Amino acid sequence: MSTLFGPYTDRIERLKTRKREQTLAKKKNVGFANEDDFGIVLPPDTFRFTFPAVDANGFFTGIANWATNYAALLDAYPLHYDADDIIAGKWMFILTRMRTGYTLSKAPFPFDFSHLHQEQELYDLTTGIGKDAHFAPDHRIGLSLGWEGIRQKILRAQAEHRGDAEAEELLAAEIVVVEAVQRWIRRCAACDPEPGSERQRINFKLVNDPPSSLREACQWMAWYNMAARSYNKGGAGCQLDAMFRPFYERDLADGAITRDDAAYFLACFLLNDPRYYAIGGADAEGRDTTCELSFLLLEITHELKTSSNLTIRVHRNMDRRLFRRGVEVLLADRLGYPRFSCDDTMIAGFMRNGYSRDLAATRIPLGCSWSIIPGREYTLNDVVKINLAKVFSVAFDEIIADGDPERYSTEALYEIFLKHLQRAVKCIAAGLDFHLAHQYRNESELLLNLLCHGPIEKGRDAAHGGVEFYNMCCDGAGLATVADSLGALQTRIEQQKRVSWNQCVAAVKADWQNDQGEAIRRFLASAPKFGFGGSPADAWAKRISQDFTNMVKADRTPGGRIMIPGLFSWADAVRFGKSVPATPNGRRAGEPISHGANPDAGFRHDGAATAIVQAVAGIQCGYGNTAPLQMELDASYANGPDAVERVMALFQGHFDLGGTLINVNFIDATTIRAAEKDPEKYPDLVVRVTGFTAYFIMLSPEFRKLVTSRILEEAHE
Amino acid sequence: MIGLISDIQRGSIHDGPGIRTVAFVKGCNLRCFWCHNPEALLPRRQLSFNPGRCLHCGACERVCPSPSKCQSCFHCVDACLAGARTISGCERSATDVVAEILLDRPFYATSGGGVTISGGEPTMQADFVATILGECRRHGIHTALESNLCCPTATLDRLLPLADLIMADIKCMDPQRHREATGTDNATILANLRHLGRLGAAAPPLIIRTPIVTGFNDCVAELSAIAAFLRELPPLRYYELLSYHPLGCQKARELGMQDFAQPLPAIPPSRILELANAVANQLPCPLYLNGKPINQLETSP
Repeated sequence: MSTLFGPYTDRIERLKTRKREQTLAKKKNVGFANEDDFGIVLPPDTFRFTFPAVDANGFFTGIANWATNYAALLDAYPLHYDADDIIAGKWMFILTRMRTGYTLSKAPFPFDFSHLHQEQELYDLTTGIGKDAHFAPDHRIGLSLGWEGIRQKILRAQAEHRGDAEAEELLAAEIVVVEAVQRWIRRCAACDPEPGSERQRINFKLVNDPPSSLREACQWMAWYNMAARSYNKGGAGCQLDAMFRPFYERDLADGAITRDDAAYFLACFLLNDPRYYAIGGADAEGRDTTCELSFLLLEITHELKTSSNLTIRVHRNMDRRLFRRGVEVLLADRLGYPRFSCDDTMIAGFMRNGYSRDLAATRIPLGCSWSIIPGREYTLNDVVKINLAKVFSVAFDEIIADGDPERYSTEALYEIFLKHLQRAVKCIAAGLDFHLAHQYRNESELLLNLLCHGPIEKGRDAAHGGVEFYNMCCDGAGLATVADSLGALQTRIEQQKRVSWNQCVAAVKADWQNDQGEAIRRFLASAPKFGFGGSPADAWAKRISQDFTNMVKADRTPGGRIMIPGLFSWADAVRFGKSVPATPNGRRAGEPISHGANPDAGFRHDGAATAIVQAVAGIQCGYGNTAPLQMELDASYANGPDAVERVMALFQGHFDLGGTLINVNFIDATTIRAAEKDPEKYPDLVVRVTGFTAYFIMLSPEFRKLVTSRILEEAHE
Repeated sequence: MIGLISDIQRGSIHDGPGIRTVAFVKGCNLRCFWCHNPEALLPRRQLSFNPGRCLHCGACERVCPSPSKCQSCFHCVDACLAGARTISGCERSATDVVAEILLDRPFYATSGGGVTISGGEPTMQADFVATILGECRRHGIHTALESNLCCPTATLDRLLPLADLIMADIKCMDPQRHREATGTDNATILANLRHLGRLGAAAPPLIIRTPIVTGFNDCVAELSAIAAFLRELPPLRYYELLSYHPLGCQKARELGMQDFAQPLPAIPPSRILELANAVANQLPCPLYLNGKPINQLETSP
């Protein structure tokens, strides 16, 4: 038994048990959820709630209605206490998911965007229109002002913006929101089952005042997290070591707390919501920011062994002990945490957009695949995607449309692919402008605005000009599917001449069901893939990435916004695949497209980790957004006295070659196979799906199969 | 310089320290009945047939000039789009092999890894292997030689200056039983080991392994005899016990090498741990079991 929590060890164990029970209850009542654990819990069975402000369609839009309904929900919010927990409250609802009958087409945009529909559907674009959150607050604002300080700031802004209708509407809604949060906290304090307790005292204080101790800071940030989650699942984590460091060091110096106390407080906080938190990293001068708290947070994560999204920021001047300890924890727990990001490549990349190093150093990894400048940047990160495989299938259909084999060549096909990719990028750009012009009326960012620099001061929603920087996401998904398809056609038809274009086209169009179709499918599928190293598919992957990057960076959106390219599918490889017919890499119609920026499973017979590390490093877009490396490492990588050095060498090698972010699964084949057979027996098994970790039991069978097959492929089973 | 290769594996963590690229040369002078690399035994290209991938399209039969006896023309491989028929082994130049080894150069020094030439038996293609090792050395890559040491000492001496590490097996100490199990007695092997011992610090560091095979050497007496021999040598880097595994059987079936196709009884994890514990204190060096130092083991390997 660890001594990290000292006298609080039993309490932490009981909290972990309760978390396990909550996971099982969620699985039973809610079913599958292909997303983070989030720390959400179920409301009591008896809870009933009706929104006071709904329209004729049964849902709600508009700034005032959002605020009214949100305030009503908080006023009715079931309270939650646990005698073992310093944190009062758990979050139970997501307002955006409670809008009965809501569809994007019914959103109250003053202009329709039907002129974009045709290409959005043709290329299976994830446009980001109507999407929320996916940027980060600056928690320092909340920790320094407290809720009353925020309210006063809004009141001052109201006075400054009288006559500005948009500002008046927004700021009035913000007041409703903040006062609702204050009532929620006050009610929670007043109803505390332990009157006179420290928890009650703290919550009465936090109704108005900012926190002044580590324990108070934990509770304050938990309140903000719960409030933001309950609104639109939004908000984000932060650079947690830096954020809590002043409280931690002051409390220790004053003798107000022991290290056991600190570990216990922070464990309760991390159990409340496993957000993306970063530790370590470089400041603007390249100096390391690692501190004692960085290590403590890592050790707490190690002890909890629950779903976690802690990211260690690696850079050339870092305290290597944090890197090493992170790898040790990864190998020991084999639960997919921590993740590792690279400041050197991300900072240099972001600067290529025209930003200073000082600014770039403040952009930190706080999302599934993404980094952000907390409180200052709006991006729609991870919710804007081009399904490259679908674009390819459109190009494939076009080249074969007239049935003239003289036209067939990989170069000609690629030219057509680029033409359609250009159209897809332009359609995305137009959609982003539309979103930025109108989203604030559909769903304003009432919670995130509070901890951003600008929305309150300017009286403008973050989605409508409130923050300083707009660097809009544009991710490509399915790189390997396209690269392998072009590689297979080049290798098998053009170089080896073992099958003809006509044979291949007929087989692809028949979804391999025609005469010889299966043989041709296997033949194409066995061509050297992206990730093999030096193969035609490797060359295609680099070329596609480069051309995609150049296209995205060639222009701003028509409205003048910067776009930043990345390569990431999130957990959408399954959904994207459903719209894509058979592809010449041997993939059948409807099967998932390749995952993220990764090579497809089976990219080398030896599954060499060194090959995948180099492959993904070689296709980075290089402007500060990621093409994450998703690794499923053979469990034997954890064996031997040099296991840590081996893994560190892999990670450092990836970053040295240009890599940006590494997510790792470290589960042995036996465990994952047994868990797939009977998930209920493994309620604690955490896997890294993409950028996020999730309880295996909560994944749908389709996602379980995806994760399992990835792990088994890498284990050569 | 051209050699016959059965495979090159990148990112290996099982054939020496750190992250390594392993080149498996094809052709071996022993016939260990438990061999897990049967595809590397014969010094020639071979037809491999995976019936699980066969679509029964008949394309192979239509191009075969000698249906009654395979002449290794490999026309059927060209005809088989499904990939059920493949060629095991390929001729590659040393330059080409080194180029592939260099692909993973970013990971060798930082992980303590490098290149390992394995097999088959590398000393059977000594010129080819020497060229590869020499070229890797020139690039500053750590070199390891995984050999059965059943070769003329002069051949070994030629390769020693090019290797930073030698990995070899002692399968058993009794010459007759060694002959029965591998087709050759162990006199040359033990002589070469003594030769390495005499060279002392002039020889590369040495790792000795014993594959534990049920009914052959899975007893304390055998391991004690090996331990006694090891005490005559200068300190090894470590001695390792490796559990028999049947991964070679499927490959042998696909190659039509029936002598190696039947799985042997598995060694229970508890038994090999028992053996390891029994021999550990007789050794003059650290003991490893299936890749882990014995002091890192928990209750099972």
